[in-house]
Amino acid sequence: MERQDMAPALRRGLGRRGFLQASGGLVIAFSLFAPAAAEAAAAEAAASGSTVPRGILPPPAGKLYAWLAVRPDNSATLFTGKVETGTGVATALAQIAADELDFPVDRLDVVMGTTSETVDQGPSYGSRTIRYAGPQIRHAAAAGRLVLLRLAAKHFSVSVNQLMASNGTITLIGSPGSTVTYGALVAGRRLNYEIGASGTSFGMRVAPDVRTKDPSSYTVVGRSVPRKDIPGKMTGQFTYIQDVRVPGMLHGRVVRPYGVGASLLSVDESGLKEIPGFVQVVRRDNFLGVVAETEWGAIQAAEKLGSTLNPGGPEAGQAKWSAWNGLPVMDRIWETLRQEPGANITAVDHGSVDTAFASAPRMVKATYQTPFQMHGSIGPSCAIADVRSDGATFWSCTQMPHEARRVMAELLGIPVEGIALRWFEGAGAYGRNGFDHVNADAALMSQAVGRPVRVQWMRWDEHGWEPKGPAIVQDLAGALDANGRVTAWRHHMWIPTTGDTHLIAAELIGKPDIVGQTGHGVPAVTYAYTFPNADVACHGEGRVGLLTAWLRSPAQFETTFAMEAFMDELAAAAEQDPLAFRLAHLSDPRAIAVLQAAAETYGWESRPAGAGRNTQAANSRLAKGRGVAWANRDNVRVATILDLTVDRGSGAIKVGRVVVAHDCGLVINPDGLRNQVEGNVIQSLSRTLHEEVTFDTAHVTSRDWVGYPILHFAEIPDSIEVLLVNNRPEYPAYGAGEPSTCPTAAVISNAVFDATGIRLRQTPFRPDRVKAAFS
Amino acid sequence: MPQQVTLNVNGEDRLVEVEPDSMLLYALRDNLGLHGPKFGCGLGECGACTVIMNGFATRSCVMPMAATKGAKIVTLEGLGTIEKPHPVQKAFIEEQAAQCGYCINGMIMTAAAFLAREPHPSREGIIEALNANLCRCGTHMRIVRAVERASHEGA
Repeated sequence: MERQDMAPALRRGLGRRGFLQASGGLVIAFSLFAPAAAEAAAAEAAASGSTVPRGILPPPAGKLYAWLAVRPDNSATLFTGKVETGTGVATALAQIAADELDFPVDRLDVVMGTTSETVDQGPSYGSRTIRYAGPQIRHAAAAGRLVLLRLAAKHFSVSVNQLMASNGTITLIGSPGSTVTYGALVAGRRLNYEIGASGTSFGMRVAPDVRTKDPSSYTVVGRSVPRKDIPGKMTGQFTYIQDVRVPGMLHGRVVRPYGVGASLLSVDESGLKEIPGFVQVVRRDNFLGVVAETEWGAIQAAEKLGSTLNPGGPEAGQAKWSAWNGLPVMDRIWETLRQEPGANITAVDHGSVDTAFASAPRMVKATYQTPFQMHGSIGPSCAIADVRSDGATFWSCTQMPHEARRVMAELLGIPVEGIALRWFEGAGAYGRNGFDHVNADAALMSQAVGRPVRVQWMRWDEHGWEPKGPAIVQDLAGALDANGRVTAWRHHMWIPTTGDTHLIAAELIGKPDIVGQTGHGVPAVTYAYTFPNADVACHGEGRVGLLTAWLRSPAQFETTFAMEAFMDELAAAAEQDPLAFRLAHLSDPRAIAVLQAAAETYGWESRPAGAGRNTQAANSRLAKGRGVAWANRDNVRVATILDLTVDRGSGAIKVGRVVVAHDCGLVINPDGLRNQVEGNVIQSLSRTLHEEVTFDTAHVTSRDWVGYPILHFAEIPDSIEVLLVNNRPEYPAYGAGEPSTCPTAAVISNAVFDATGIRLRQTPFRPDRVKAAFS
Repeated sequence: MPQQVTLNVNGEDRLVEVEPDSMLLYALRDNLGLHGPKFGCGLGECGACTVIMNGFATRSCVMPMAATKGAKIVTLEGLGTIEKPHPVQKAFIEEQAAQCGYCINGMIMTAAAFLAREPHPSREGIIEALNANLCRCGTHMRIVRAVERASHEGA
């Protein structure tokens, strides 16, 4: 009954039927080889005695079989190097391919990420999958359709223009009885046709010469096709990375240092051998792990060494660590940021802000502070590694499988040709969390024990060690003229790197620079207002305290908070309606369109910013307010309007109605997009109201969901309405995975100000902080 | 030391060899290959590991095997299948109430146990019943709608 990844067995020559029986019905991704090729692969695997054939390279992007396989039963597979992270892109990419291929989307399955079977289309991050991989897949599918038409032309001995393709079948025009399915035409062969490709990653061009359809003729794109993965996920039949088992596998757990930079002094192994199933301790410099035959055995052994929710100190477990207290002081993190060496990066510099400030009749200044936050995946990081002397196989949920393959080659010192990575979906990650780091943990443990090792982080490993979104501090200043127009704007931000790609395990084994780089923070803003004088600059820091990485809309969630809350401060100072004030300082038609669409649906009534409190009794316990904010994230425009109540007694904020107007151009799957936007709103509401990573000078102290609470059901909005703006075939499809996160903290701050006259400039807006602001 | 224990899961008696102080979740996932219940926190905080034990939604990650003697356990797999989904599963599919879906086992199992007890709850009642289950993708609106739908359609 145990589920195993049977792909290696498949490659050893087990047919699809035998494979399905052996795997208990679990379908694992596999390529279709011509029978001869399958036999050759099986023979190669058998000869080498390995669990998978060595050196399986990604297929060449210029071959049709790299993208498509058609089976005799007229079902098909789309292969893509992109991966699903819970956003629904597997279904959306299938829709794009099905449309161009004239093939039923429900008969088109999708194989993602596995490096030996897919083309490297770049990592799946930054809302870039639909935007960049969409056109690549569209062109590959169009090339596939042309190949099939040519096969049919040969079949019927006619020319291509006498044929019509529809729903996976090609018909001779004028002869309705003369039909042939794609499956019959391909007859089980690999689609070994040259379609052409150039460039790499996001910039790759596939089948550049093929003509694609006129967007106005799309029939599958634009439909709310139900997601392919959901029925399996709702019934326990879906295989997440955490569910994968491979033959001969052991279970590993990490034992992290007490202090982030502590050295391992000694390991007392007494009592470990008495744990049933215990195999061995893996120790390499400051990297420490345990391996056991059972998961429970590994957990028990790790606990003895000191892996617990609340470790008592560097010497409390049987692993003894040096006393290390090198983290900055949490409460002063923003002062620390300002003192970092960093590099100055100018985003906008026009006019003369200083001159305008000097003569301004009215100035407003404010500082905004935001804390470290975490991705907080509900499923902790998990991977399996099988490291041999000349190769390695990984089972991983990384968002960047092809990149991870190269990174693991460097870590292990094994040529990349010897590395295979089989990709399985993990729990939602929302950025680079621990999923790549756990690959390295599993690799080191497998290398040490000579067997496949499955490593799953404990909750405190995830909370404590996943790379965080960085703490940020921002100074804003604006000048208003006598008519209430902004004459000058200054926005200076101190942002640590969000692109630190070092591996935790590599740092622990004393080889921090074997892969990855630290990078530095960049000005994560898209400046759009038409102020005559503007100075927008970023002090880009390296790593400050905790390891960081990109977290949903990297740093732009924080910069939008500061910009759009400060716009509200200026509107309030000018005694103007905050929506009208924004519109008066914008010329971008798409920005104006989303603001107006949201306002119209919401029923926005004009009144000065902060005047909400004048409309209700000053002594009522519940204060009501409304707010507006917008953002431009990678060419997507999104405006959010919401209303809320603030409980003056408890300081609790409860959101009522939310309206989001979203312009990401052509929408592939409207219901999927709404799902994404609802998720962005709720997750960013959670980050706004609750989330702050806590740490002492040794380590992160918010190590579970009690220490790092997230939004509960009782706090969800009454409603979230999503308006799709400019959802038209003539617009490109931009990425929608992140943008609607951006406005939320600002819109809450603005609504709280409207309700109470109190301006919140530091997230999270926890009840104690809101209450303190009243007094 | 590991002992042979009989677990009644999804209507069948199953023999597993586990340590008495180990948690039910690992017996289900590792010994029986039932992957509906998920490891989320191991602390009983998130609900991803929820099973229905003797009719009650129960966090299997903190339920010692020694305490499961004689209990009737239902996992997500025992509730229904893609072909024959339980009304709650069917409602979740119809509402497309998942993003990554990792937490959904807990949502469905908690809702199924709740609706069996209280077939016609208010929206507030549903929210209260699910309040201790965490979802990180922010699928809450759809999850509540799915449970409402299941209650209307007679879960």
